[in-house]
Amino acid sequence: MQNFAHEMQVAFALILAGDSELLGIVALSLRVSLFAVLFAALIGMPLGAALAVGRFPGRRALAVLVNALMGLPPVVVGLLVYLMLSRSGPLGVLQLLYTPTAMIIAQVVLVTPIIAALTRQVIEMLDAEYAEQMRSLGLSRLATVPVLLWDGRVALLTALLAGFGRAIAEVGAVIIVGGNINHVTRVMTTTIALETSKGNLALALALGTVLIAIAVTVNAMVSLLGQRAEAQEDVRHA
Amino acid sequence: MNGTGQQPELSSVVSAKGLDLTFQTNDGPVHALKDVNLEINKGDFVSFIGPSGCGKTTFLRCIAALETPTGGSLTVNGMTPDEARRKRAYGYVFQAAGLYPWRTIAKNIKLPLEIMGYSRQEQDERVRNVLELVDLAGFGGKFPWQLSGGMQQRASIARALAFDADILLMDEPFGALDEIVRDHLNEQLLALWARTGKTIGFVTHSIPEAVYLSTRIVVMSPRPGRITDVIESPLPKERPLDIRDSAEFIEVAHRVREGLRAGHADE
Repeated sequence: MQNFAHEMQVAFALILAGDSELLGIVALSLRVSLFAVLFAALIGMPLGAALAVGRFPGRRALAVLVNALMGLPPVVVGLLVYLMLSRSGPLGVLQLLYTPTAMIIAQVVLVTPIIAALTRQVIEMLDAEYAEQMRSLGLSRLATVPVLLWDGRVALLTALLAGFGRAIAEVGAVIIVGGNINHVTRVMTTTIALETSKGNLALALALGTVLIAIAVTVNAMVSLLGQRAEAQEDVRHA
Repeated sequence: MNGTGQQPELSSVVSAKGLDLTFQTNDGPVHALKDVNLEINKGDFVSFIGPSGCGKTTFLRCIAALETPTGGSLTVNGMTPDEARRKRAYGYVFQAAGLYPWRTIAKNIKLPLEIMGYSRQEQDERVRNVLELVDLAGFGGKFPWQLSGGMQQRASIARALAFDADILLMDEPFGALDEIVRDHLNEQLLALWARTGKTIGFVTHSIPEAVYLSTRIVVMSPRPGRITDVIESPLPKERPLDIRDSAEFIEVAHRVREGLRAGHADE
């Protein structure tokens, strides 16, 4: 165990010293996952809102599909995106394989269903309560969407954080489409996997510590926001 | 156009002719409204009273284009109800106050104004005016949960008044309140009606409330939902609360009760 204690010490030294390799990896992870959440939000929120207030054929089936996609195995998503982007694949000409962009695409696929499904829940709940109020104010159903999105913003932030939590902690998809190339596509999770197998436990532990800190922070924020939303809920039904 | 008096009068705000609304349910069709004929004129205060299932709320919702009739004709301000809705012809006060808990009272009242694109200055001015109108001046910064049920309902009325709809539709707005608060709000509502000259459609379960408030009382009965009596109130426009002890008041209340009973016996 002496060995482990020593590695832990080195790991903390790396973090405290702000080791440039470590910082680079953390920065790339954040960049990839934040962009992924941004794009997933741009797709997922309107999609979720449309599923909540829209009245079109196939709406229920689509809602079930989106819910089911929340549980997509990252490795399989990685494989599918790999096939799409590989040189002989339909999008091969873009030459995106093994770039951060490819990793963002894979994470967008993973995160979009989460954001869409959670957005649908939030907007459906608000809509059930305020649809007639909005209608009596002369609004069409479509025009209520921005109002509902804005008034549900706290709960929607929770959806974004949940999506970010999934993206930053995921390893299967990014390792396949990113290739884990040093200084190019190496993110926290893939580095931990690699360095552990190489026996370089210090760097793996340091990244693991940062990753856990991020995950705990995100989850704490989710539950804090959740409590706030719940408090609003209690007030409403009091 | 031969002007044979078939035309609704110029002052007619709501005109229903042979209105039917049948809901298709798993247990067969439900006749929520059957052959309803009614004219509501500008400045009227019309109450709808009747037992559950008599269609009083359904009729109000048809006027507001929240339900679509299955037969007959209905116009609001000479338009279809949905056109009138989109032109914001009415303010609707629901049974539950329906205020956003995370918005202050002022912000709740502003919601329709924000949606309709009023300038910020105009919004503030209107909020101040309607808060005064419903006797809630100074409460704009409070959140709904900091107010009593009666105050919440008044805030909800203020929201319906904030934009200049000539018609105010109210669906049992005071149903959940205790009698003393209800009396007070009834008095205030009459004062508000006198000041604004709005046309009001008001759904209620309470005979005294209907008689005290209305210029006309529409008595309805269920299965199928229909109008059984329309009573023109002989009471003066000025109505102190103790008018309810007058012989005239008691007579009107009696006629309403008879109407309700007759509708019941029909079944």
